[in-house]
Amino acid sequence: MKLKCHKIQRHLSDYIDETLSEQQAADVALHLRACSPCRREAAALKKTCNLIENFYVEPEAPDAYYTRFTSELQRRIEHMPPTAIHQQLRAVSTRLGWQLLTLLYRFFDRYVPSGALFTRQRAFPYYIVLLTMTSLFVAPFLLKQVPRSSLKNLPPVSVHPAATFAIEQDTDAGQAAGRHYNVNRVLPASHPTHSSSEGTSAWKSTPGDRHLVANAGYDFWQFTDEPIAEGYIFTKHRKNSSSEVPSIALATRKGIHQGTDLPGLFSIDSELIVYAEIPTQNTLLEHLLGRDVLTEGTYAILLVQGIGAGRHVLQQYERKQSRFKGFTRKLLDVPLEILSITEVYDSIEL
Amino acid sequence: MERTEALLIADLCEGDQTALAPLVEKYKRMVYRLAMQITKNHEDADDVMQETFIKVYQSIHTFRKDAAFETWLYRIVVNEALNFVKRRERRRECAIETATESEFDPVVRHRVQMASDPHVQAEQAELRHWVTEAVNSLSLKHRTVVILHEFEGLTHAEIASILSCSEGTVRSRLHYARKKLRTLLKPYVDASSEPL
Repeated sequence: MKLKCHKIQRHLSDYIDETLSEQQAADVALHLRACSPCRREAAALKKTCNLIENFYVEPEAPDAYYTRFTSELQRRIEHMPPTAIHQQLRAVSTRLGWQLLTLLYRFFDRYVPSGALFTRQRAFPYYIVLLTMTSLFVAPFLLKQVPRSSLKNLPPVSVHPAATFAIEQDTDAGQAAGRHYNVNRVLPASHPTHSSSEGTSAWKSTPGDRHLVANAGYDFWQFTDEPIAEGYIFTKHRKNSSSEVPSIALATRKGIHQGTDLPGLFSIDSELIVYAEIPTQNTLLEHLLGRDVLTEGTYAILLVQGIGAGRHVLQQYERKQSRFKGFTRKLLDVPLEILSITEVYDSIEL
Repeated sequence: MERTEALLIADLCEGDQTALAPLVEKYKRMVYRLAMQITKNHEDADDVMQETFIKVYQSIHTFRKDAAFETWLYRIVVNEALNFVKRRERRRECAIETATESEFDPVVRHRVQMASDPHVQAEQAELRHWVTEAVNSLSLKHRTVVILHEFEGLTHAEIASILSCSEGTVRSRLHYARKKLRTLLKPYVDASSEPL
């Protein structure tokens, strides 16, 4: 009963105001007939409302005050700076817009015979507005498709199609377990290859691989690949975590390396080519936002594989690294089939 | 020919300053009353009035023509007044003291006709005093809702729109405000045997 009373008393204020639904009002009324405490409470609230309504003293100023106020307000408005130009433009454009719609309506009313169209004449201005708004919404999407389709028709000189990178990573047991990120096809066999090691790093080189330097003792893998370009590839290295795949790989352009047999490599306007495999969005963000290495203007990111919310992450990254703004957009227009990591191998299997 | 409110608003939108005066004339008492009830201070209420009508003049182009001008004006007044009170509280100024010190003596509007019997007159005066004090002692949120609902006659939905909160919040605030008032006015509520 007490619970019921508590629930009913919450509705008493609305019951007094008669703002309850019919069913609720009936329930409350039924309860009040049976429950004297609630009835007393309702009566007390009702009396309180009546007291306030009848005896509250509303403030009111004398007429002399209003006269002074009006003149003071007028003086302030007259001394205010002129209306901002954007407000004036907005007012003018609104007025012109309505006048134009009125003219259209009149023209439509005069020259178009009734029944010639399937639309109601009075709705014609609204159709115009609707059409304009639809065009405004659709246009950006249409325009966005243009560069992508045009890029697809370009010859594959934007990125060399034969780049293969190998990344090796130490496992917990200290065994070398390499992972090969194969970007499309393998390099031509005639391409010079060599391998070297540095510090505690482990090296893996397979025929056709580019040259890689992996410093396992540091936070980042560094790849020097002189035949390709003067740039670097960085990826996050997690020691003692063999289950994690290096999630981001970056390659800078820095122009074509002189004397190589790779003309046209990275000759696209973008300064950087990036490919990545993203395990999860959170992990990606940790990697991106915590990377001090991404401090030069020649770096940016491109999400090729992994999560679907890549653009969202890119936006967050761009906000942090504002100088890359717009740059990653260019990279996004690179055809994915060229850059995407198509296969991941385990070196032991190889 | 007297311009309608819609025409005045349209003219004001186009920068016609003369359209503001009739609107001020129509709503000045309401704005002052509301500002005074929330701020409890004539000087602040005066500032709120000024700022309100300046804002109306400057922002009239943002007013949606399909909405009620009065509700839009209520929103501006209430927000301005609440901002004034918050700023004042930040400055730790006491509104009641300021009001007492003020030379301005507002005229009060009595909702109940004064009785002819001097005894009844005295009782009514005392009741007015305590009822007004009780309402003024409510918290800012509760007082605002009570003023808008009880004295301005706005619906829950309109108040919710003005205060940018849900209707449920308005109902809840109103309920607790009434319970508080009932406690404050208990002697007078218990004294009356029947609804007043």
